[in-house]
Amino acid sequence: MFGETVLKEIDEIRVKYPDRRSALLPSLYIAQREFGWLSQEAMQCVAKALNLSESIVRGTASFYSMFKHKPVGRHLIQLCTNVSCMILGAERLVDFLGNKYGLQPDGTTEDGRLSLVVMECIGACGTAPAMLINTDFYDNLSEKRIEEILEKYK
Amino acid sequence: MISLTINEKEVTLDKPVTVLEAAKQAGIKIPTLCHHDLLKPWSGCRLCVVEVERMPRLQTACTLMAADGMVIKTESEAISNVRRGILEFLLINHPLDCPYCDKAGECELQDLVNKYGPTVGRYKEEKRKVPESHKDQIIARNTERCVMCTRCVRMCNDVQGASAISIIGRGNHSRMEPFSSESFDCEYCGNCLTVCPVGAILSRLYIHSFRPWQVDKEVGTICSYCGVGCSLVVQVRDDSIKRVIPKLGFGLNKGLLCSRGRFGYEYVNSPDRLKTPLVRKNGKLEESTWSEALSIIADKLTEIKGTSGGSAIAGIASPRCSNEDNYVLQKFMRVTCGSNNIDSLSRTGFAAAQKYFEDLLGQGITANIIDGIKNSEVVLVIGGDPTAVNPILGLSIREAARRGASIIVLGHAKGLEKFKTVQVVPPLFKEAEVLEALLVELFRAKGVRAELPFIDKEMRELSEKAAEKMDLPGFDELMKALLNSASTSIVLGMDLIQRTNGHRSLFGVAGITYLLEARLYLLSERPNEQGLIDAGCVPDMLPGGRPMNIPDFKSKFEAAWNGPIPDDDGLTLFEIIEGIKNRNIKALYVMGENPVFNLPGGPFLKDIFGNLDLLVVQDIFLTETAEIADVVLPALGWAEKSGTYTNLERRIQLQKQAVKTSRGMEDWRILSEISGRMGQKMGYLETDDIMREMAKVSPLYADLTYDEIGKGDCLWPYHGKPLRGEMNEVPPVVDAEKDYKADFYLAPEKLLFHSGTLSRKSPALMKICPEPTLKMSAASAGKLGLKEGDRVQFSTTAGSSEAPVSIDESIKDNRVFLSNNFQGSGVMDLLSFSIDEVTKAFGIEGCEVEIKKHGIKA
Repeated sequence: MFGETVLKEIDEIRVKYPDRRSALLPSLYIAQREFGWLSQEAMQCVAKALNLSESIVRGTASFYSMFKHKPVGRHLIQLCTNVSCMILGAERLVDFLGNKYGLQPDGTTEDGRLSLVVMECIGACGTAPAMLINTDFYDNLSEKRIEEILEKYK
Repeated sequence: MISLTINEKEVTLDKPVTVLEAAKQAGIKIPTLCHHDLLKPWSGCRLCVVEVERMPRLQTACTLMAADGMVIKTESEAISNVRRGILEFLLINHPLDCPYCDKAGECELQDLVNKYGPTVGRYKEEKRKVPESHKDQIIARNTERCVMCTRCVRMCNDVQGASAISIIGRGNHSRMEPFSSESFDCEYCGNCLTVCPVGAILSRLYIHSFRPWQVDKEVGTICSYCGVGCSLVVQVRDDSIKRVIPKLGFGLNKGLLCSRGRFGYEYVNSPDRLKTPLVRKNGKLEESTWSEALSIIADKLTEIKGTSGGSAIAGIASPRCSNEDNYVLQKFMRVTCGSNNIDSLSRTGFAAAQKYFEDLLGQGITANIIDGIKNSEVVLVIGGDPTAVNPILGLSIREAARRGASIIVLGHAKGLEKFKTVQVVPPLFKEAEVLEALLVELFRAKGVRAELPFIDKEMRELSEKAAEKMDLPGFDELMKALLNSASTSIVLGMDLIQRTNGHRSLFGVAGITYLLEARLYLLSERPNEQGLIDAGCVPDMLPGGRPMNIPDFKSKFEAAWNGPIPDDDGLTLFEIIEGIKNRNIKALYVMGENPVFNLPGGPFLKDIFGNLDLLVVQDIFLTETAEIADVVLPALGWAEKSGTYTNLERRIQLQKQAVKTSRGMEDWRILSEISGRMGQKMGYLETDDIMREMAKVSPLYADLTYDEIGKGDCLWPYHGKPLRGEMNEVPPVVDAEKDYKADFYLAPEKLLFHSGTLSRKSPALMKICPEPTLKMSAASAGKLGLKEGDRVQFSTTAGSSEAPVSIDESIKDNRVFLSNNFQGSGVMDLLSFSIDEVTKAFGIEGCEVEIKKHGIKA
């Protein structure tokens, strides 16, 4: 269930659009923020808040890959392995995350701290390899730098 | 006027339509997969491409509007190449499992590939594999076969308004799924089945049981469930019903059906059907023969008529039986038995309201075309959920909402939750006061209408009495909407009629209808509630709605029927019951009705029916009432007999025989046999004979024939002349002192998936909705510490029962609702009731109920 403040936030989004369906994507982001991922319950909450059918909510949510359709860890690492990043050792970094933290692509560490998604280009080819942790951006990555950065994400 | 050339043929159009439609009018078929007549154009499949002169590329005919001077080709080599290419793409994933696919033979994809090819596929890759879903008990979903035309999704969203399914995922992984991805949590209308062009959505009721071409016959008939009377087609093989499908573009439903109509037909073949007459011997019902059973009834009725007079006999007619059956029953009661005591359970709702409105506003006031709701500016929904009681009428309200109408719900209606504009929740059991307040405000704003002075007078008196304006959330909005509306529809459910002083609400509704010149629709649970009134199965009126107390009408019918009609006023339903209790009524003849289950106070009724010297029940099942009868006669059911039915908009329609059975006899034939044995020969051979007689004696049906009715447009007032209102004053309001302080009150609920005696013998409907639930608001559940699905025990002064809890967001007061459909746990047995002095319907209000979580001892 959404709390009062979240419902108010969705209401504020809703009045910006001519119809309820238009407010669906931003509301799904809010649900994802609240629940961590778009569970059935999260989608039901959105449907109820916008008075839309649950099925329409799921249909829309399932179209977009940037919505999370299964539970993820507290912090989500999105690491690029496209051409520039690959040439500069991104695949080594994937192995490093596996060996050091037990973190496989599309997997989550046992303590639920970290999740890893290997993603397509994030437009940082000049300073590759690059990654996103949640919404924070990091580039010029190496094993050592990743280790230091991850210290901040407990 | 638009003229264009299609395939070198000149086509002239009188209104702008798409090229696809124009070609259709010219008899030229353009292939489509995503287009369907019930849906809006979508242009997703690209199969309908055509060549248009002076247009650079091929155009999709389903979205291109026909314009003057267009020159179009619908078939050419280039077009065939494109179509073949599209089909080849579709066949990349579509499995070639036609030998065991149920759709084969009526599959649109199969037909198209047959016509355009390809004959071989060039793709070597594996087909997409998705296991068939067996999670749903009614709808079989095979995603592999799906061609992503999205017809089902658009049907569910744009027409049915249930929005229960959508396309999940993207690209090659996209698939049609309900929210849960497993079973469907929907209205089970099955309209997605109608539109699916391939075998991706099928019904488990007939899957793997026959091939579409293996049917002996298709019979176009009407549905047996509610008062809308949808047209449908019954497909028959070996005298058993294989499936029920809609007839596209025909009837008032134009190809749409609801769960009851589409999946509820199996009761006809239920093993519980009565097969032979039963006669009570030594306290037990034993199998008997027709001649014995009929003789017992004839002898006993003759004896009672001789010793106690005809008025000691009473009859209960059936809103499930045809006009002909009911006409013969009332004639049998009036002439053969010499009694005007003929009424039906419609007295508890439809007939009571209908009489009140017609007395006030004139005959035919409720005869409004259902389709007209769609064009209303305001739809006022009162006292029930139209999408559950009359689902197809409910769809018109949803369509009105899509067209921009204000949908105002007074009370609650779950099926309109996503469509309503305002919901006004009256204080508990104070609906009449709210309606009166509304009427007063409207009257103050609009003034007298000066058509019916006695109503104007009553409204003036009301407005003088009324103090200040009602303070209720949404009330002002409701007022404003009604005042600004140029076309208003009022949809009235039975909930408000069944009140201690239901007539007070009825006057409110009548007044609003009169002031706003609104269209009035009465929801009707049974298929022939209007018909039985017109056939004369009410104590005070002869067929055609002609009042008994006018001697000229009476003598006309006496001459036509060859026998005297008694002078005394007949008794209404509850007066008959009172008569049975006082032993004034000695014989009761029940045709196709189950009063012990369908009326409140079942145990009491069962008890006093013991007073009767003769209780005859004519039915298709051994109902609760039949179980205590002296003689039980097996009748024929829907699809087994022919006859006419009059729906709630007063459209007369023909229900046709589709299968033959040796199980029983038509209701009218049984009555005619008994009448003959009592010395009053009726002489009917077939139903046509009865219709001919009705057309002759009843001014409503003047000159009507089956041929004319069969065309489907036989609408009020036919050829007959309606009578104007008979009443010159409004019956005085009997006001009851009300003080409702209990925590919870029990009230009856109408379910979408059930209708009582018939639906509980339909396996499919029992799978969809297997048990009763106690519906309550989230607030009530919170107060009791209950969550969805918790089992509770509940008791009233009349009895107790148990059921799981279901939370209904649309309910906003402290009433809890239970339906009256399941054997042994109907709500009626638990209710206390009173009788409305004016309408003679029962009133259910203030029935206190105590609710406990199951297993917790008090």
